[in-house]
Amino acid sequence: MMTTSFDKNMSAVAFAEAGEHDTARQILGENAAKQHGKSPAPAAKKKPYLKTIIFGTISLSAYYMLFTNEKLVTEIFTMGGWRWVYPVGAAFFFSFIHGAFASNLLSTLGLEAKK
Amino acid sequence: MKKLLIILMFALLPLSLFAHSAMAAGDGPSKDMLKGIITEVNAAERTVVFEKDGTKEIVVLAMNEKMQLEDMKLNQKVLINLDKHAEAGNVMKDVSVMFMDMNASKLIALLVIGAVGGLLSGFIGSGGAFVMTPAMMSLGVPGAVAVASNMCHKFPKAMVGAYKRWKYGQADIKLGLVMASTAVIGVQIGIKIQKYVLAQFGGAGSNLYISAVFMVVLVFVGGYVFYDAWKLAKGGGKETVSKLALRMQKIQLAPMMHFKTAKVTISAWITIPVGLLTGMLAATIAVGGFIGVPGMIYVIGASAVVASATELIIAFVMGAWGSVQWGLSGLIDIRLALLLLATSLIGVQLGALGTTYVKDYIIKIVMATTMLIVAVSRGVKIPGYLIDLELMNPIQENTLALLEGISFWSLVAALGSAALIIIVAMVKGMTADSRSKKAVLGVSNG
Repeated sequence: MMTTSFDKNMSAVAFAEAGEHDTARQILGENAAKQHGKSPAPAAKKKPYLKTIIFGTISLSAYYMLFTNEKLVTEIFTMGGWRWVYPVGAAFFFSFIHGAFASNLLSTLGLEAKK
Repeated sequence: MKKLLIILMFALLPLSLFAHSAMAAGDGPSKDMLKGIITEVNAAERTVVFEKDGTKEIVVLAMNEKMQLEDMKLNQKVLINLDKHAEAGNVMKDVSVMFMDMNASKLIALLVIGAVGGLLSGFIGSGGAFVMTPAMMSLGVPGAVAVASNMCHKFPKAMVGAYKRWKYGQADIKLGLVMASTAVIGVQIGIKIQKYVLAQFGGAGSNLYISAVFMVVLVFVGGYVFYDAWKLAKGGGKETVSKLALRMQKIQLAPMMHFKTAKVTISAWITIPVGLLTGMLAATIAVGGFIGVPGMIYVIGASAVVASATELIIAFVMGAWGSVQWGLSGLIDIRLALLLLATSLIGVQLGALGTTYVKDYIIKIVMATTMLIVAVSRGVKIPGYLIDLELMNPIQENTLALLEGISFWSLVAALGSAALIIIVAMVKGMTADSRSKKAVLGVSNG
């Protein structure tokens, strides 16, 4: 079993080195397809539903908290001086939380970068 | 991720210190602008009692003859511009409420602008700023707050975009930081020139200068990028390094720098002027990327994918630095910044992953299309400024209104067409990719 897949990989390498990339890919693709058939776990990447929900909830509650305390927040954030830390810090915080949500959302929708 | 963050933090630290000293030197928002609360209105004397924000200092300000009593909003944070040319001191020129009331239509408008601006940013490295600030102003946000809030939304967006494109192996961190450090100096030079123009020729002169720079840069650079992209599209899309860049790379003037991701070895003396110009343009028209990206492609010799990804690093550093400056004067409306971010963080990641499916020249096409349509938007405003400067005979008012309309709708068209090209190219790329994957599977199974 091991020898077969080793052989296949080696022949794919040989084809790739000779410039026959498509053939090499086909050999590896066949390999992947067979493994896919035998393996109990699906080869397709699992979609990050849970992460999307968690980050989405955190992000949404942060937005909710901000807008229900609108007056207080805008007052403190615009006092100037060292308080530049507030708006810039908030922007950083939201970019991590909401950015992670957005990233997971796109993956959940099946939008991934080309490998 | 860790390495990237550490590098970016180190880049930010000296910049924020620099921002403090720059503010102390008097840069940033104008000194004739006051921020605070009107506590009393004296209708008979046409004066108001004004409490300055932060220091709580109380001053009495006079209304100019054009101001209405009902414009004086009590107990709300306002921005007041003082009339510099008034003979008596402390005369107000205009008053604007600092925080606009949010309603559903404004909220939706901000979310839509954020999404399209983000998509464009993720794809071509810059974009959105030229429409976000005017759009916020048309929603009733005072100019300075619009600029500040846009800045504060720009740097997290650029950071997320830069991180994504760095993960795809497209962003050259070293090139980005080298360019950003010179661009920051360029911004200072740009501000100095702006101030000089404003002092010499007044508001209309300054507007004319900005529009003229806009037009020249966008028409020439945008036109060249479009020509190049069109040539590439006809020739099968194989990108080659420009002759100018090849010549520049031959100049062996120490210190030489090697940029791994961009696959370029070039003298620092070549990157400095490109960075300076990027910063100067950013200070003039708010979109440095319109020089930065073509500069990295045609002068330094990076590919369009690497140049547009690297621009995001520059945008992050400059945006963070700018946000600190605007934050020091307390002009950021965090609600606006975060509403724009709500959709632009999705848009920027979509745009970033879109670049992995398209040919390099599509990035150039999107960039050139945007630049050329934005040029139209600024171009049609020039007659108005010329009339203000009395360099042109007045024209009919409805013609001016028509030109204003063209200006606004061409901005909308620029964003719309760019978003459309990106989405179509991305869908095509994704379909072709999934078809080829299926074909490979089909061959191997059959």
